[in-house]
Parts: sequence; structure tokens; C-alpha cells
Amino acid sequence: MTNTRHSVGTRVVVVALGLTYLLPLLWIVLTSFKSDQEVRSSPNSILFSPSLGTFTDIVDAASSSVVTSAKIAVSVTVLVLALAVPAAYALGRRLTSRWSRASAWFLGIFLVLQMVPQPMAVIPLYGILADWGLVGSIYGLILADVALMAPFAIMLMRPFVLAIPKELYEAAEIDGASGLRTFRNIVVPLLPNGIATVGAIVFIITWGEFIYATTLMTDPANLPVSGLLAQQTSLYSVSWNRLMGLALLTSLPLLAVFVLAKKRLVEGLSVGSVK
Amino acid sequence: MTAPPETTVRPGAEGSVESPAPGRWRRSRVHLGPYLVPAAVVCALLCVYPLVQMGRMAFSDVGPANLIGEWTFSGTENIREVLGSDGFWEATRATGVFTAVLLVVDLTIGYVAAQALARRGRLSSIVLSLMVFVWALPPLVSGSVWKFLLAGDGAINAVLQLVGIGRVDWLSDPSLALWAVSGVAAWASLPFAILIIRGGLLSIPTEVLEAASIDGAGPIRRAVSVVLPLLRPTLMVLVILIVLYAFRSFDFVYVMTSGGPGTVTTTLPFLAYREAFTTYSFGTGGAIASLSMLAVVVLAIPYVLGVRKEEGQ
Repeated sequence: MTNTRHSVGTRVVVVALGLTYLLPLLWIVLTSFKSDQEVRSSPNSILFSPSLGTFTDIVDAASSSVVTSAKIAVSVTVLVLALAVPAAYALGRRLTSRWSRASAWFLGIFLVLQMVPQPMAVIPLYGILADWGLVGSIYGLILADVALMAPFAIMLMRPFVLAIPKELYEAAEIDGASGLRTFRNIVVPLLPNGIATVGAIVFIITWGEFIYATTLMTDPANLPVSGLLAQQTSLYSVSWNRLMGLALLTSLPLLAVFVLAKKRLVEGLSVGSVK
Repeated sequence: MTAPPETTVRPGAEGSVESPAPGRWRRSRVHLGPYLVPAAVVCALLCVYPLVQMGRMAFSDVGPANLIGEWTFSGTENIREVLGSDGFWEATRATGVFTAVLLVVDLTIGYVAAQALARRGRLSSIVLSLMVFVWALPPLVSGSVWKFLLAGDGAINAVLQLVGIGRVDWLSDPSLALWAVSGVAAWASLPFAILIIRGGLLSIPTEVLEAASIDGAGPIRRAVSVVLPLLRPTLMVLVILIVLYAFRSFDFVYVMTSGGPGTVTTTLPFLAYREAFTTYSFGTGGAIASLSMLAVVVLAIPYVLGVRKEEGQ
């Protein structure tokens, strides 16, 4: 069913769908080039003289929150990969039948853990991090995000490990390679695709993560991008051009990741998720 | 659907163990346990331990004063308070409506769109990329732009006035707000649903459909008798994932309506969160969260068993 050409009806469906997603994005860009006065007098004008005033107003706030979010998202991605690659290897290799049974149990546990609703998990997590003195610090947020993403990353990484032919392990064993060397020199070099896919998805989700960011980061001067956007929307009177400008600037790093990882995202999310 | 956990991996059944002979594996110098330890420790401390605390909270009197410190056991007081409050049942209803809108939109439009996008071509690939990009955007960004578009003087109302329908208070009319927020959440989760369904469609062998055509089955007959039955496992997973997503429906509610007007858009996760962090009744918040977790676990059981069965242990 992949080679049939588009019929007229199909084209209409696809174009309509595309517009539903394109127009809101255009609206973000359009509005951020409007001045305060323009937005207040005619919020829906399409023809107007573009101004960069909004951007000069928000660039400081936006760049400091982008830096904070970049620190968080990069640390979380690196830490999650450091946990998930070995764990997926352990759960993706069927050494003995006893180990297979044990790993089936672990898989079940990780599956349930990734289903815990985040707005509810944050309630006890807040207490625990407060107990450890980590509420309000970037480290507390990083820990919380790592815990949020790790079970999911392990599940997503495992099929990439399963794709490694077991003959390679057997050859390594015959060659007398130690366990650690097998992992470092054979398994990890075979996983660039998995690491890139999982890394991109973890980065994207951490970048947009909002509940932990707004609950655990309490200093208004040091907010990640979600916290900054939330702060803007909860103001008594929203300044739309500023909000859209911030949305645009804080999404640019995501655009970069998206361009680099587009193909892997489409495949990783569809083919990889339901086999 | 921005939340990750939707993308659950269901690896296909794979081959037998490397060393089936019981005598042989004992000689293997490879130990896999240590590779699992770091992840297991982190998850035990930051995923499992919070769940235990959540359960304890539900049966304790926890407020801002004693969140760090001793909790006094209060029996089933929190649970009874929650179950006896109108707010909880209204939130349950709101969560139900939210889930229903997501299911209907994601499954019907998702199916039609996935069919259209399963055909290769430049148009499909452009639209697919666009949708995946929107999926990747922070929910706060897409929530904010929709709040602007749906505002009283927003673009949607401008168009409606232009065509003579007049202004609609999407987000401030109590009878509309929940539908509007659910609709936006469905819009945001649709790209993910389409990817999943499209993945399922692409895995159907072309020969099967050709054979059905040769036998004289028209497009609708082919969809009902061939495609849908083959797609059933994929759709079942998607249904579970959408319901689970509804239990964490927070971001769009927070940005667009903050649970209002009144409490009409207060879903269960929003209610639990508000109890804990606005009124600081961690005990009640923990009770709502624990009750919701029960629902999640009930849903998770067939799902986990299904995945494990597929593992062919």
C-alpha cells in the first residue's frame, strides 16, 4: 500500500492536516514580529510593519533560560544514556534462561514505572528532594528528569541491543574477550543509531518538560524555558507578542535537534515503538 | 502526545538463549547483573521509593509543616475525604471527557490521516515532518499559541466573525472550555497516534491487500475485513497509551485554563497537583494520586502481560 499515488481526496486530507499544524506555527512567528501597540490594537492583523522590538525586549530573559535548559537537557541526556545503554544491554542479551526470566521481571517493572503519571509522581518526589535539600537547585531537577526518562530510555534502547547477532557475542567469548571489553568494543560501537535516536528523544522531552521544572525550580531568576513560559502565561494580562517571541526563541534549539534527527525520530517513534 | 512513555517499545519475540545447555553457561565469564545495577539503583531511589511515599501519604496527615519530618498515621481519613468530595467526582468526569475526545480524534482522524500519509511522496513526507516537529515542541509552546488563537479577540473568533457566526468564548464558557482544551490536547497528540498507526499500516504486506482486491473487495471492505483486524494489536496499544496520557493531562490545562472556569477543566492530575502544591494538603493530593495509580495499574496489567508474552519467555 506504499506505492499507490495520491488521489485527489488523499491530497486534500494531507494538505488540510498540514495546514492545521502549519498555521499555528506561522502565527507564533508572525505575532513575535509585532510591536506591543500593534498586538494590542489589532491582534489578528496579517499585514503590518514588522518590528524587532519584541525580540530586543525578551532576548536577555530568553537566552538565560535557554542556557539553563541546555545545561539541564544535556546533563539529563548524557546521564540517561549512561544508565540506559548498559541496562538495555543487560536486558537485551539472553545468556541463560534464568537470566531471561529475571530480565522479563525487570522489563515489567520498567514498563509500569514509565506509566506513573508525572503530575502525581511529583507530589512524593517533591518531599523526597526537599528532604535531601535539593528543591530549588538544578541538580534536584536533573535527578528528577533522569528518573523520569530512564525507564523509558531503557525500553526504547533495548530493541537496538536485540538486533545485535548473538554470533558476535560467541565470537568475542571464544576470543577470550572479557565482559567489559565485549561491551565497550563490540556492543557500544554497534549502537550509534540507538544512542542517537534515544538521545534525541530524551533531549526533546527534557527540553519541554514542565511539571518538574516549575515545581522544583523555585528561583524566578533561574528558570528553564518551560518555567519562563509558564511564568508569562500566568501573568494577569498576557503580552502575546512577548509570549510568542519567547516560544519562538526557546524552540530554536529544538529545531536544530529536529533537523539533525528527523529521520530517526520518525522511524524510532513509529516502527520502533510498535513492532 | 508529548509525554514519552507513550512510546513503549514492544520488541518482537526473539531467538533462544545464547547457551541453552545448562552446563555451558556456568562457564561463561560474562555477568550481566552489574550492567543493570546503576539503572536499578536510580529507579529504586527515584521511581519506586516515591511510589511507596505516595501510598504512605494517602494514609497520613501531611501538610507543609511536616512534609519533611514525621507523618502521623490518619487511617483512611484522606481517602474518605477525597471520595466524599464533589471535586473528585467532577475531576473524574472531566478526565473521562478528556480521554473520550482524545480517543475519538486520535483513532478516527489518526486512522484516516495515517492511511493518507502511508503513501510515499514529497507531500506526505513534508506534512509528516511538520507534525513530528509539532510533537517535539514543548506543550507550553503549543498550549500558549492555542490559548492566543482561541482567546476572545483571537484569530479563530476573528474568522468566525468574518463569516458571520460571531464570537465564541472557547476558554471562558463553562460548557465549552473542557472540549476546547481536550481538542487542543488531541491536536498535540495526533502526530504520535498517526506515527503509530502508520507504522502498523506499513507492516501489512502489500500482497495481502492485493489478494483482497483481486477477490473483489472494495476500499471500505478491505479496511474493515483486512486492515483493521491486522491493525488490532497496534490500536489496542494505542488505546492504552492514550488513556494513560489522559491521566497525566496537565500541561494544556495549566496553560490554557488553569482548571477553570470554575473547576470545569480540572482533571484528576490537575486536582491532585493543586491539592498538593496550592493548598499544601499533601495527604489529600497523595490520596488522589494513589487512587489514580490504582486505575493505571489495572490498565497496565494486560499491557505488561501482553508485552511479556510477546517476549516469549
